[in-house]
Amino acid sequence: MRILTLTAAVLATTALTGVTPALANDDLKIVDEPLELTVHIHHVRSTAYDENWPVEKVAQELTNVYLKNATVGSNTTNSEEAMNLLLATGKLPDIIGSARIKEAVDQYGPQGAFLPLNELIEEHAPHIKAFFDENPDLMKAASSSDGNLYYIPYLPDGKYGRGYFIRYDWLETLGLEVPNTVDELYEVLTAFRTQDPNGNGVQDEIPYFARQWEELPRLVTLWGGRSSGSDTYHDFYVEDGKIQYPYMGEGYKEGIKNLAKWYEEGLIDPEVFTRGSSSREYLLSENLGGMTHDWFASTAGYNDSLADKIPGFSFKAMIPPENVNGDRIAEHRRILVKPDGWAIGGTNKHPVETIKYFDFYFSPEGRRLVNFGVEGEQYTMVDGKPQFTEEFLTNGRPVNSQLYEIGAQLQARGYYQDYEYEKQWSNQYALEGIELYEQGDYLIPDFLGVAMNADEQRVFDKYFSQARTYMLEKQQAWILGAADVEEEWDAYMSQLDRMGMNDVLEVMQSAYDRQYGG
Amino acid sequence: MSGVFLEGIVKRYGSLSVVHGIDLEIKPREFVVLVGPSGCGKSTTLRMIAGLEEISDGTLRIGDRVMNRVAPKDRDVAMVFQNYALYPHLNVADNMAFGLRIRKTPKDEIAKSIEEVAQILGLTEYLERRPADLSGGQRQRVAMGRAIVRHPDVFLFDEPLSNLDAKLRTQMRAEIKRLHKRLGVTSIYVTHDQVEAMTLADRIVVMADGRIEQIGTPMDLFNNPVNTFVAGFIGSPPMNQFSAVIEEGQGGLVARANGTTIPLPALEELRGAAGRDVVVGIRPEHVHLGAEEGTSAIPIELDLIETLGSEALLHTHVGNETFVAKVETHGEIGHLQGVNALHVKPERVKLFDRETGRAIGRAA
Amino acid sequence: MANISNSPSDRSDGVIAGSAPSVGPTRPFAKRLDRIQMHLRREWQIYLMLAPTIIWFLLFLYRPMYGLQIAFKDYSVFLGFEGSPWVGFEHFQTLFQSDQFLRALKNTVIISSLTLVFGFPMPIILALMFNEILNETFKRTAQTIVYLPHFISSVIIAGIIITAFSPSAGIVNTVIGWFGVEPIYFLTKPEWFRPIFIGAGIWQEAGFQSIVFLAAIAGVNPSLYESAVVDGANRWQMMWKITIPCIMPTIIIMLIIRIGNLLEVGFEMIILLYQPATYQTADVINTFIYRQGLIGGQYDLAAAAGLFNAVVAFTLVMTANTISKRVSKTSLW
Repeated sequence: MRILTLTAAVLATTALTGVTPALANDDLKIVDEPLELTVHIHHVRSTAYDENWPVEKVAQELTNVYLKNATVGSNTTNSEEAMNLLLATGKLPDIIGSARIKEAVDQYGPQGAFLPLNELIEEHAPHIKAFFDENPDLMKAASSSDGNLYYIPYLPDGKYGRGYFIRYDWLETLGLEVPNTVDELYEVLTAFRTQDPNGNGVQDEIPYFARQWEELPRLVTLWGGRSSGSDTYHDFYVEDGKIQYPYMGEGYKEGIKNLAKWYEEGLIDPEVFTRGSSSREYLLSENLGGMTHDWFASTAGYNDSLADKIPGFSFKAMIPPENVNGDRIAEHRRILVKPDGWAIGGTNKHPVETIKYFDFYFSPEGRRLVNFGVEGEQYTMVDGKPQFTEEFLTNGRPVNSQLYEIGAQLQARGYYQDYEYEKQWSNQYALEGIELYEQGDYLIPDFLGVAMNADEQRVFDKYFSQARTYMLEKQQAWILGAADVEEEWDAYMSQLDRMGMNDVLEVMQSAYDRQYGG
Repeated sequence: MSGVFLEGIVKRYGSLSVVHGIDLEIKPREFVVLVGPSGCGKSTTLRMIAGLEEISDGTLRIGDRVMNRVAPKDRDVAMVFQNYALYPHLNVADNMAFGLRIRKTPKDEIAKSIEEVAQILGLTEYLERRPADLSGGQRQRVAMGRAIVRHPDVFLFDEPLSNLDAKLRTQMRAEIKRLHKRLGVTSIYVTHDQVEAMTLADRIVVMADGRIEQIGTPMDLFNNPVNTFVAGFIGSPPMNQFSAVIEEGQGGLVARANGTTIPLPALEELRGAAGRDVVVGIRPEHVHLGAEEGTSAIPIELDLIETLGSEALLHTHVGNETFVAKVETHGEIGHLQGVNALHVKPERVKLFDRETGRAIGRAA
Repeated sequence: MANISNSPSDRSDGVIAGSAPSVGPTRPFAKRLDRIQMHLRREWQIYLMLAPTIIWFLLFLYRPMYGLQIAFKDYSVFLGFEGSPWVGFEHFQTLFQSDQFLRALKNTVIISSLTLVFGFPMPIILALMFNEILNETFKRTAQTIVYLPHFISSVIIAGIIITAFSPSAGIVNTVIGWFGVEPIYFLTKPEWFRPIFIGAGIWQEAGFQSIVFLAAIAGVNPSLYESAVVDGANRWQMMWKITIPCIMPTIIIMLIIRIGNLLEVGFEMIILLYQPATYQTADVINTFIYRQGLIGGQYDLAAAAGLFNAVVAFTLVMTANTISKRVSKTSLW
């Protein structure tokens, strides 16, 4: 009884401070004798591996696996460049972690540069296996054209990335309701344009603006079109198991036709193509911009930063207006699987230990470590859940930068992000906005990418870049009114056929079928 | 042909005055040489005449026109530059035609002039060549040809021969002289080389420190330098000069210097001059090896004999003053070895006031 | 111009070798070797000074040429230069079958030709104008102002241009607005891209490029001008008949160099300024390759285009040099 109490006390202390986690988690040890593995870690935020990161210290202690920095190309922030340098040396370290690693593993994994992981996961990585069993599509998305998985991806969490934001105070000033349909939106934007909601007597309002001009064609979703199937602009999308390209659909044509009209009527920032990344800052702080489609967190932040400057400033999220078909579509969501992550080098002599090490970051302890940092330092457990300490959240420095510094949230690792980590420091208006979107079901399935084989890739490389260039040229020309979409559409479609777009869709489809089919 | 008249010409750069007021009359067809050490203002004076430098003060006339404010091109002068100023991208013919083309002279006239001048200068076969393909002498001739084709009122030469080697210089000197005779154009010629000045000039203007020291014919300057500066500048080797004091001697006044007495000419200006401090000047050419009628001996110590061929320079010293004599060799120098005295006629002895450097009296 | 002749050392070397006692039967090779040895022993300091340059050339210019072979290979980074399979001229075929490459080629030629036509004389004109300024203070100030843009990064220059040509607040539209012209969204108009890009290039570089011509002008013998003044030439005539002919060798050398870079359009500036809406006139080979590379990481194709660029540039320089040599007797080699 006495002994039991003591043990309980020790356990309680351990849980509270986390100073000796090894004691409590001896089962996480991968090897009895310390094992050293070489590692290449390259991400724009960290172009080398640092074994002194607090997160690494804990990982070392828990797993008994010690990583040793062998990063090539630390002097560049371009991870693909570093990867090419590494590959060109011909000698790969045991672990290769990098941003945009997928292209490399897809191309060189089958050539033997990286180890296939499927069997290793099956036999030695219960947590990763459990994750992929639950999310088979993500496994497929990360796999290469030969069906093998060559890297453990970084898997973002959270659903909504961008949302529509509108000046609620302007709506109020003009006595308007939040637009519910595309037609109402048209009326609201027209009112923004013509009725001087900022009250300075000049018709200088910019009803719809965007930091990225690609957020303008995004509006074709209001007419049933598509602009992209993933968080990357101009990407393919899937509809009923068929690969489609967004800029070839009827809804897109209809949308562009209307956007050209909106543009001509001044409902869209006339400088949308050149104003660039500072446009949101400028147009909001000058009290000129009325509506945009942008990230929740950063956009909502203006409610605080401009509260003093513009009395009554209220720039908040609105749900997607109903499109012409009566659907509400939030086309943009956080991607589920990233091409970033880590892989095992083809010459690694400890593949089993390595995959176990990868698996560690999918275990509850490892996932907490990589998402929240070190227990007792950055977070404490409250009601069984990690909670950032007050001190950590309020010391005035951005939470994410602080986490990067200690080696947490390093996206050159393969790990499953916990949205909770971001939620704990998100702006209140952003959370409100996301909440608003969560209530509806606006998301549409993401296209997670395909891995093409060499022949497919050749066809894709030959045609796609140029076809895409052509489509973007036409898109801007139509919106700017330099040409008429209605008149040119048939010629446009047949030109795309000549440019091999149908061949591209065909190889994409065959790759898709191989990867996700069955 | 016009004369050139300078009255009180002054050149100032800011507060720095480099030419202090020059008065000079150059007659039509005359060949006048401005000579003096570098920095004496001779080039500046020439450039003021050309119009390349503004005249700060005074009056410049060419013929009867005041030229102070007239643009260079309207002064009807032509200038030959020290470095020839040939246009590297033009051939000889085009170089010579340059000025004429600027003046829109008719084509056939230009061609004629060039042909003519090329003939005079012996450049006919080089007309198609570029300056880079010419020898120094040829370039010099092109530079003169360029001046000649313009048929100007006045030729201005700014040290035109100083870039040539000695032999070529002698040759070109003669050529310039011949040209002047043939063309008879008023010429003003700047040089620092007194030999050039002596050989070319009708009259020489010796300048120093922005002032004219003396104007005269070459022989005038040679025989009667007005001061020690001119005496030292004209003549090669220069006039021997040494300080002396005038004393009463046996046959009249003598100059005593370094323990030697030199009999002086009987000059009006010297009456009662005993005790006066003077500079004695004796030209190297004016001494004799042996005693002649009316000469007196100056004891010397021989240091060195410089053989020039028909002549030799005897470098000697009298007391602690150096003394150079130029004597004839008659083809051998053996007889010069033992020389221990030189002889001079009193009338060849020049006297200058030691204070002012001005010549005292004039001898024949 | 850069006619580096080593004949003097050759000659002296020849004399020495000739006077050296020949041992045994004269074998040309041995004699030659002997001569080289002698030469090296005599001139080793000079070769030592030359060595860093030669090493630099070998290391950074000749060794990378080995990599050019990927233009004819299906290049895989992992397999390396040797390991990647040969594909012959496939990449070149791909390029020339592509309308967009041909358009980019056309745009490259047009943009660089126009840049040459309008951009090349500008620094010369500037230099001539500076040369005519008599007031030293004004001259120095003016020079500094026109040099300045050269030292500003392209990103900022692009920002300035975008702002200046902005339809709402740009100075250009404001000015044309005074004449009653409706604002023009210049940077999305294909017909405006080239004038803006070329103009900006001139604005950025003309001042700095004028330095070399100013130096050439400073080297002109001042008595040429004096002589011309006496001959009656005015300033205009002196500029045309003296200054320009005298700096002509410099102008021609610069021109040959520029022609060699004809296909090298400053592509980062284009990336910063162009839009899909202006690709039609703005897309050049380098930007085309850039986009191509972004999609597929096609190093082999990029190498093929680069090789094509280099071959064209080489041909242009050779041609320009030969023409110049014949016509003006000025040449790079």
